[in-house]
Amino acid sequence: MAKQYDVLFRLLLLGDSGVGKTCLLCRFTDNEFHPSHISTIGVDFKMKTLEIDGIKVRIQIWDTAGQERYQTITKQYYRRAQGIFLVYDITSERSFQHIMKWASDVDEYAPDNIQRILIGNKSDEEEKRQVATGQGNKLAKDYGMDFFETSASTNYNITESFTRLAEQVLAANKKDLDLLRASVTDELNLAALEEEEGITDGAAASQKGCWC
Amino acid sequence: VKNGRKSADSRSIRTISSSHMDDESSLGSDSEINGFTNDRHTDKYGFIGGAQQYSEESAQDVPPEVLRQREVKWLDMLSNWDKWMVKRHKKVRLRCQKGIPPSLRGRAWLYLSGGKVKREQNRGKFEELDSQAGDPKELDVIEKDLHRQFPFHEMFVSRGGHGQQDLFRVLKAYTLYRPEEGYCQAQAPIAAVLLMHMPAEDAFWGLVQICEKYLPGYYSAGLEAIQLDGEILYALTRRVSPLVYRHLEKHKMEPILYMTEWFMCAFSRTLPWASVLRVWDMFLCDGVKIIFRVGLVLLKCMLGTREKLKACQGQYETMELLRAIEPRYMQEGFLVREVLEVPVSERDVEREHHVQLKRWRKNRGELHCKSPPRMHGARAIMASEPPSRQDLRQNPTIIVESPLPPPQPTPQLKKGEKSKEEKSKKKGSMKKAPTVMEIPNPYPLAGDPQRDPQLPLRDPQLPLRDPQLPLRDPQLPLRDPQLPLRDPMPTLRNSTVQQPLVNDTPLPNTPEDSPPPHQPTLNDQSLLTVSPLQKSTQSLSSIEADQDTYL
Repeated sequence: MAKQYDVLFRLLLLGDSGVGKTCLLCRFTDNEFHPSHISTIGVDFKMKTLEIDGIKVRIQIWDTAGQERYQTITKQYYRRAQGIFLVYDITSERSFQHIMKWASDVDEYAPDNIQRILIGNKSDEEEKRQVATGQGNKLAKDYGMDFFETSASTNYNITESFTRLAEQVLAANKKDLDLLRASVTDELNLAALEEEEGITDGAAASQKGCWC
Repeated sequence: VKNGRKSADSRSIRTISSSHMDDESSLGSDSEINGFTNDRHTDKYGFIGGAQQYSEESAQDVPPEVLRQREVKWLDMLSNWDKWMVKRHKKVRLRCQKGIPPSLRGRAWLYLSGGKVKREQNRGKFEELDSQAGDPKELDVIEKDLHRQFPFHEMFVSRGGHGQQDLFRVLKAYTLYRPEEGYCQAQAPIAAVLLMHMPAEDAFWGLVQICEKYLPGYYSAGLEAIQLDGEILYALTRRVSPLVYRHLEKHKMEPILYMTEWFMCAFSRTLPWASVLRVWDMFLCDGVKIIFRVGLVLLKCMLGTREKLKACQGQYETMELLRAIEPRYMQEGFLVREVLEVPVSERDVEREHHVQLKRWRKNRGELHCKSPPRMHGARAIMASEPPSRQDLRQNPTIIVESPLPPPQPTPQLKKGEKSKEEKSKKKGSMKKAPTVMEIPNPYPLAGDPQRDPQLPLRDPQLPLRDPQLPLRDPQLPLRDPQLPLRDPMPTLRNSTVQQPLVNDTPLPNTPEDSPPPHQPTLNDQSLLTVSPLQKSTQSLSSIEADQDTYL
């Protein structure tokens, strides 16, 4: 049986309640957008396989509840991630201001070599914009992150931003990756490096639908 | 603007079962504003789409005659609530397990939860909270959640519609009632379920009871209580289903991964709607052990055999399985039967709570949030906050004159009189009541030869439509004139509004001269007289100012 993937790793979506984390994820994994959806309570995840530089990359993307009090639960998942999306809503100044808090939480609870990317979502709602693109750019630069404005609704910059973070994670784990290239049979499970979990191929997982 | 208009689930909206309930959908509901006017079918619960909708596979229909009988029984219980709870609690529980009749569910829930008593003891409180502004930070989060609760329910489908407005009022009122607790996102689905069955003030008190008595600490900052219950569930799994336990252990499946939404929303987002209602009937009667049992049943059904586990080797595969529970395991009848068989009692939950709390303290220190003790169900709540008879009194919103002449002598009509149904079944404290005069039903069912001995009651606030009801207008309730007067205390304060339905006959009691609370002598035969007034109630909007309740 052909290998399902070469590398497996985890990404995490963080940001205030209502910025569109679940919709970004649904758009990316299922290319769907549901105007009618429910708030996320607790944690949820989806999987998708990408091919980057000839490497089959299977990513598990964890979606979290945005309300502050859920952080006691979601923080437990920070340390298991290799990459993090910090998401705000361009129509909400407050969600943008909170990015600093989210970033400092990541610094505190996530592994050192974690890769981060800044996302300003709902770019289609230009008439309601409260956060200028320049502000997003500047913040990203200050933190040394890449920055994308996205729209889950119009499918703008979705694949681009997810692929970019995946590339960053791959680059940050280049050493392990080179080892992988040397061996033909093994697959690299970045997600399992921190904890010895019996993660097997996620073939069954990939066939299910969208939960949102 | 967007919400619902281009529903991704439109396919299921068109293909839902051609059940005979569908034509009961109401006109002029919010959903129509939202683009669902054409081609829309509303199921008997008010869902216009989504996975929780009615389907013949997920629900079991109760024959109309049985439903009628149950309604009569529930009406009797509700009018003698304190006695039933004290002396015949097992019967109340059994009837909750069988399912509360839809027409009385809202009222029954409010009585079971103690919300009714809370409301009576805090008159004016909700109104007061409702008139306050609220903390902008809390309101910001609440507002973002309003359109994200049951978006396929006709009550909540429309942005800014009446359902979402009431949801806002209830959630905001709670943040003002318990500023130290604030708003927690999982409260929204709980409040929404309540709002589907009762007006905003009642839903508020129902929410208060769930947050403070049934699931204390679940919604508090830090979310410690839900994590602790996760550990309790895990420990109970070990006992109930060792195979499942070993699997969860092997794959490091932390309980919070799969049970957070289950428990915090009391399964209201997980199960098909018929099952949600049955679970809530039992939950509000017996407390959190029902939630644990439902969780255990789902775990066991999905992961309980070696074949199933073989096909599910990994944390993510396991989680996928638990997020997509097979419909047959959630089918109303199956689920209720299984839940009743799970050998987990109140004491088991308490014992495990004690053990896990000790472990928690050892590993993580003291709990930061001191929650009140958990109440295991309706009886415990009632014992902790004893109601006066007055608190349990049912107050009709509108009283409609019977088409029939009142019986001749109408002597001592007093409060607390009893219903006549079930007289043959009553025993013990429930004395026999005099025979009821046979009165023809003015609203016969279509297929009725002559009269239906027990026409259903409609709960006027109930947004659901009962397929058996002859009325087309879901808002218009029906009172069977044969049913005795429920409430001898007419609250006809704004009677002018309801002309000509209002009976303006002077009535013996006014709210001001109500008798002292609960005397054991209330079974006295003289109090069991049939009312001269055959009353009927009619729904009023819950906004209607000084209508404090509904019948």
